[in-house]
Amino acid sequence: MTERSRPGLVSHNGETRIRVMKGLELTKRQAVLVLVGLLFAFAIPDLALMTPSLQLTVVHQGLLFGLAAVGLNLLLRHTRLVSFGHAAFFGTGAYTTAVLAAKYDVSSFTVLLVAAVVVATLVAGIIGYLSLRHTGLYFSLLTLAFGQLLYALVQGQSFFGSSDGLPVRPGEARQPLVFGLALDPEAYAVVLYYLTIVILVVSLLVMWRLVKSPFGNALDAIGQDRTRAQFIGIPVRRYVWTAFVISGIYGGVAGALYAMVQQHVRPGPVLYFLRSGDILFMAILGGFQTLLGPLVGGVILVFLQDVGRDVTAYFDALTGFALLVIVFGLPRGLVGSLRSGGLLSGAGRDFREDPTVITVWVSNGLASLIRSVREWISDVRSALGVR
Amino acid sequence: MIGLENFVTHTLHGIQYGFVLFLIASGLTIVLGILDVLNLAHGELFALGAYVGFSIIGYLTGLVAPPTTLSTQLVFLGIVLLGAIATAAVLVPVGVFLETTFFRPIYERDEVYQIVLTFALLLIIKDVNKFIWGPSPLRLQDAYGGINSIPLMSLVGLTYPTYNVVIILLGLVTVAALFWFFNRTKTGRIIRATAINREMATAIGVNTSRTFTLVFALGAFFAGFAGALALPPRFASLDMGANPLVLSFVVIVIGGLGSLRGAFVAALLVGVLSRWAIWQYPPAELAAPFAIMAIVLLVRPEGLFGTWGEVA
Repeated sequence: MTERSRPGLVSHNGETRIRVMKGLELTKRQAVLVLVGLLFAFAIPDLALMTPSLQLTVVHQGLLFGLAAVGLNLLLRHTRLVSFGHAAFFGTGAYTTAVLAAKYDVSSFTVLLVAAVVVATLVAGIIGYLSLRHTGLYFSLLTLAFGQLLYALVQGQSFFGSSDGLPVRPGEARQPLVFGLALDPEAYAVVLYYLTIVILVVSLLVMWRLVKSPFGNALDAIGQDRTRAQFIGIPVRRYVWTAFVISGIYGGVAGALYAMVQQHVRPGPVLYFLRSGDILFMAILGGFQTLLGPLVGGVILVFLQDVGRDVTAYFDALTGFALLVIVFGLPRGLVGSLRSGGLLSGAGRDFREDPTVITVWVSNGLASLIRSVREWISDVRSALGVR
Repeated sequence: MIGLENFVTHTLHGIQYGFVLFLIASGLTIVLGILDVLNLAHGELFALGAYVGFSIIGYLTGLVAPPTTLSTQLVFLGIVLLGAIATAAVLVPVGVFLETTFFRPIYERDEVYQIVLTFALLLIIKDVNKFIWGPSPLRLQDAYGGINSIPLMSLVGLTYPTYNVVIILLGLVTVAALFWFFNRTKTGRIIRATAINREMATAIGVNTSRTFTLVFALGAFFAGFAGALALPPRFASLDMGANPLVLSFVVIVIGGLGSLRGAFVAALLVGVLSRWAIWQYPPAELAAPFAIMAIVLLVRPEGLFGTWGEVA
């Protein structure tokens, strides 16, 4: 290992940064945030014991869907391809695990995870080969259709338990063995959670390396202009296909862990196309131009869904309105907006300096509201042909 | 068992199903081909059509006594069709509202925002349906029974619901009307021109934003019409939008993007083949359309008649 790539402190232009690994250097603020985040993530099981409003399974699910969204984001952020069928890979991972555990009595955590990765790779390879011939909306449409194909296959076959799904390891030994150990249910949940955190950190580091590598730069070039990328000698089809498969593997890993956490897999929650929409939404909600955004979006969305379903019967509409707000008001997502320090923090500073600024905001808001209503009316009039 | 009568019955079922599919997919493919937006909320417009149809057709048929003689049966049929058209007309302002309010600001934005926006509308419209009509499925038994009492097919010695024959005939009329509209009328040609080259159309004096609203309203009209027609034999339920939406994607992929003719051929193909599949091997029902799609994609990746921008 050379001097330059050893972990430790380095300084660039007088600013001290902490080097974690080659190519990954954090400012002090970032390092503190990462540490706090990790500590928080590891403390969740203990926190969940203290407050009933925070449930370990909910956070765990959020992290897993977030991991799938991180995978989706590789395509979305760099190649600019909008996959609307990522539940397919999540479901593939989940069902591989469930089928192997329930039908073939495979009990090892590691074997189940590896098998899920293998099958997800195969499925992503096939779907990617067929849908990547097209770009843009046609690609979204194809991924959605293939996702629904898997849903239809699973739903129609009694081998997969149809719409009732499959239990993972039925009978006495309910859980898979973790490294050869049979744990009691509570310990199993916590151990699996910690394992998830470790896998998550590794996945994020791998993703970080990937997007900073020449391969990642090539994907960016492809996303900006396919034809140009082709002309400068990037093997576009092969690279995009590889990215697609990698992104599918992330979904497969997340799905396999999901199956082991839930210990029961149904086609509805893991394969249905609304799930693909959720995964896409997580990426947008957290901010698809960032690495961590999709993960944060996943945790927040699953948490809100869990709380929201208890509060209102019209939770879907609520999610819809939240999406509208994101699309029209916060297009960079939560993490993206925070990082750019944009609108909110500036507004907060103004407010602290002079609280009367709020009247200016209200009048500006009203003015723009009136303006958009006027525009809307004139649009409708012109559409109806009224002069 | 493959008897001739069974074969004819299932084929007719398939053709009827294909026409309903075409009505849904035509709206989607027009919107996709011209506005360049993949409207995930289209299936919910179809569901909305079914619910509105439940109210309108239910109200209209409630005004008349159940038909007994042939003449009252025909009047009854006319009333149901009137209800279906009224339903489709209700969907037009809804479409205009959606296009001007939500779609117009995002035409220039990234694709991902367009998809997320239509996904948001899908969720919202679904809950609007739930709010107005409640969560339990609704059924229009009277309309279906009333029309089926017309002794049409017994004339040729076949037991087949008259309602399905009506759908097939209506489908034929609609297809003819659509092709006539896009090929022969000035507005249809303007729409096609806009699809082929938006800037050029603006340059020669086409009001493109008005064209877009018109196209979207047209899509909503056909979604609503399909919803109202599909309602009588089945239940109107909250999740009825999802399956037709995905099947219309399949139809569009098979037919080729933006091709109305392709959508027509593909809808009939998917309709007939999937009904045959159900007849011969029931578990294949859900997967059959996708299998056809995969084969077509392997052989002709651009679809049967596919080219961008061409509509008819």
